[in-house]
Amino acid sequence: MSVFQRMYRGETSFDFVGNRRRYFVISAAAVLISLLSLAVRGLDLGVDFVGGTVIEAPNAQELSLDEVRADLRGVGQEAARVQLTGTGDGIRIQTVELTEEQLQRLVDTVAEIAGVSASEVSSQEVGPTFGAQVAESAARALVIFLIVVTIFISIRFEWRMAFTALAALLHDLTITAGVYSLTGFEVTPASVIAILTILGYSLYDTVVVFDKIEEQIEVLHDKHTITGIVNLSMNQVLMRSINTSLTSLLPVGSLLFVGSYLLGATTLREFALALFVGIGAGTYSSIFFASPLLAVWKEQEEDWQRARRRVERRRGPAEAVAVPDQGPVPVAAVAPADDDGAMTVLSGATPRPPKRRRRKR
Amino acid sequence: MSRRRALVAALITLIVAWGALAVTLALGATPRLGLDLQGGFAVRLVAPDGTDSEVLDKAVEIMRRRIESLGGVQEPEIAVAGDNAVEVQLPGVTDRDRALAAIGSTGELSFRQVATIGQLPGVSPIYAELGVEPPGFAADLNQAGDDATTTTVEGGETTTTTEPPAAGPPDNWPDNVDWDTGLTIVDDPAQEAWLLEPDSGLVYHVGPALLTGADITGADAQFAGGGHGGGVGGWVVDPSFTGEGGDKFREATGQLATFNIADPRRRFAIVLDGAVVSAPVVAEGVGPEGLSPSAVTITIGGGDDQQSEAEDLATVLRYGALPATFETDRVESVSATLGDDSLNAGLVAGIGGLILVGFALLFYYRALGLIAIAGLSVFGAFLLFLFSFLGETQGVTLTLAGVAGIVVSIGITSDSYIVYFERIKEEVRHGRSVRAAVDNAFPRAFRTILTADAVSLFGAVLLFLLAVGAVKGFAVALGLATVIDVIVAAFFTRYAAAFLVRTRLGDGGRFSIRGATGLPVASDAAEAGA
Repeated sequence: MSVFQRMYRGETSFDFVGNRRRYFVISAAAVLISLLSLAVRGLDLGVDFVGGTVIEAPNAQELSLDEVRADLRGVGQEAARVQLTGTGDGIRIQTVELTEEQLQRLVDTVAEIAGVSASEVSSQEVGPTFGAQVAESAARALVIFLIVVTIFISIRFEWRMAFTALAALLHDLTITAGVYSLTGFEVTPASVIAILTILGYSLYDTVVVFDKIEEQIEVLHDKHTITGIVNLSMNQVLMRSINTSLTSLLPVGSLLFVGSYLLGATTLREFALALFVGIGAGTYSSIFFASPLLAVWKEQEEDWQRARRRVERRRGPAEAVAVPDQGPVPVAAVAPADDDGAMTVLSGATPRPPKRRRRKR
Repeated sequence: MSRRRALVAALITLIVAWGALAVTLALGATPRLGLDLQGGFAVRLVAPDGTDSEVLDKAVEIMRRRIESLGGVQEPEIAVAGDNAVEVQLPGVTDRDRALAAIGSTGELSFRQVATIGQLPGVSPIYAELGVEPPGFAADLNQAGDDATTTTVEGGETTTTTEPPAAGPPDNWPDNVDWDTGLTIVDDPAQEAWLLEPDSGLVYHVGPALLTGADITGADAQFAGGGHGGGVGGWVVDPSFTGEGGDKFREATGQLATFNIADPRRRFAIVLDGAVVSAPVVAEGVGPEGLSPSAVTITIGGGDDQQSEAEDLATVLRYGALPATFETDRVESVSATLGDDSLNAGLVAGIGGLILVGFALLFYYRALGLIAIAGLSVFGAFLLFLFSFLGETQGVTLTLAGVAGIVVSIGITSDSYIVYFERIKEEVRHGRSVRAAVDNAFPRAFRTILTADAVSLFGAVLLFLLAVGAVKGFAVALGLATVIDVIVAAFFTRYAAAFLVRTRLGDGGRFSIRGATGLPVASDAAEAGA
């Protein structure tokens, strides 16, 4: 049976906890690079946060960037940032804050060079205080959200899981912010929304995984080590995690594609790009970061240390992936962590003989 | 669960969802589109820090009245946002200068001499002045006094109708006055005008402005003990003037004081944005030398709530229209084309995303994927219905951020199917029959779905309560979608799966649920045997 077939049946036995050092190093490196970039390069904040004016118009004449720039120089706007949006069928101009007259002149100029009427030109002027308020309200929402979720997970599961989920969340947020910083995407209210969504996804994903771990603890407690139980749970939900990421990325990808090829959907595109990164990081962290972290942490608990000693006394070295011993479950062999820490998949599963189907007729 | 019961339950949910959508669409209700999806004009105005929330509410009220007087704005949205800001959204408005002037400026205030006052509320004195019969006057009487004009005669009913008077205004009718209402259409303070006092319904004929808002520096509402003519005392308003304004006021009141106390011409009307706010009389005993601007008080008549009346008048005098000076913080105008494009992009992305997810689930979970596809259609129908319904009744708008939220929620709802289907596979691995697995997997999977959805819902509610602007629209969409996800799982997915597993698609070939769980199917055995 191939790895994929076993994954389909949830019969893999990857040792996620055993290989944790490798995953933690990857996570640490990603977080470090993100933080460095945030410190050095910073974020490119959009007009909504720093104030300024954005003008958007359809590019009916199919002008090139240089042509637009040349025309803008004529009205004293050489410092403006000019972009073509979509596949070149939209013009986007960003400037500092303008006075009423300056703005009117700019709108008229843009309408004239683009060959459209002034009512087809969209504009957005933002004072400097608006962004501060948006950022402040988002930050406040974030903090309260985190507190509520921590309490919720503590009640529904336990506090260790709550803090592990929180750590995974910060991990995802840092990496997403880092990608923004590294690639120089502009941070807009849409990106703030995207980041809040990632927050939701990341928690959602972690909660589903923890739900599984909790369920297995109920069943396998006393007979297995926590590491084994976490590994077993991870293998069982692996397919779900991969599938969920895929089905989440499909609509986001469709958003990304449509946003890139249709005029005016720049907001959608920015949104989709951030989500793409965030969902990826969220899936990674719930499998490779949150769960191993939880296992290591819980392994310290006296209860679980006793369980480990008991298991080792009874069966020698504890297995890496717990093997539930009730029911006619196809038994996957224990996958010991290799010296080099590589992911090893062993299969001792003996496929059940096909059942005879009795036909009624 | 019997096959029949499962089928009926699943069908009921399906019919309810599609039926609700069909009824809403048949009634012509569609989701109310936000400004960024249909084009329009949005302004965010900020009041100075520490502005009282009552003052903001008052400002919102005044702005709404002004926007409505602009005409041609469908469903303006004006609301207090945050601690000291007001957000104004005007869908479909493209004339930014006019819109900005209507909401941003503090309004045009003038003091004008009254010439005549209409005898009845709602009837302009202009008809009497020009000696013409008001149009529709007779018709109004007809409507108002239906009983009087309809006499029941034996065997039938006859209605007496009065012939309408000569249609159309006379030659000397002023251009700027509406023939039907007898009111000035656009008030110019430099000209005479026929203006309504909204509180009483009376129409005043007023002269050109004697003073304007620029002549007034402030006003205070105070309680004055008796003394004014030995009265019991009451609420008064003390206006204060600039030096030049004071002179103008003294001169104007002197002029007015030459008229008899009962003459309307002894009154001056305080006019704001083309409406009479109040029309005090110059007190008895004031001579042609006029009133001293430093000692003037406006006494409030015997209203029920003198205090609020005095405070309102003081506010009007102090600020013109708006009770605070607002600064424009953010102005956004979206062209209709851009709005259309965004809407189309959102729709294409949403529908495309749904189809892609449907195919992925069908490919991976085979027969179970069919349930997911039907479930996604129920999800979509419910969501569209809710947005149409809430848009119509609660004024909930669907914004671009909301569309993004919906596209994201497709991922969340498809996860619910995946959790359930993976659970079924697992139960089968634990040795249950396919049928038992489908039934047993649901309660456990539903618990997971509930927990995960609860986290999403927390997020949505908190975002809605705490965030501003676009984020709110996103929160609404996400919250609604999460609730619908739970509903679909509880009332559709469970029954549809219970039904399907009891058909040929449950335990048939490779495409069946049995095939999807990875169990060997009949065709495998046949191949192995061949």
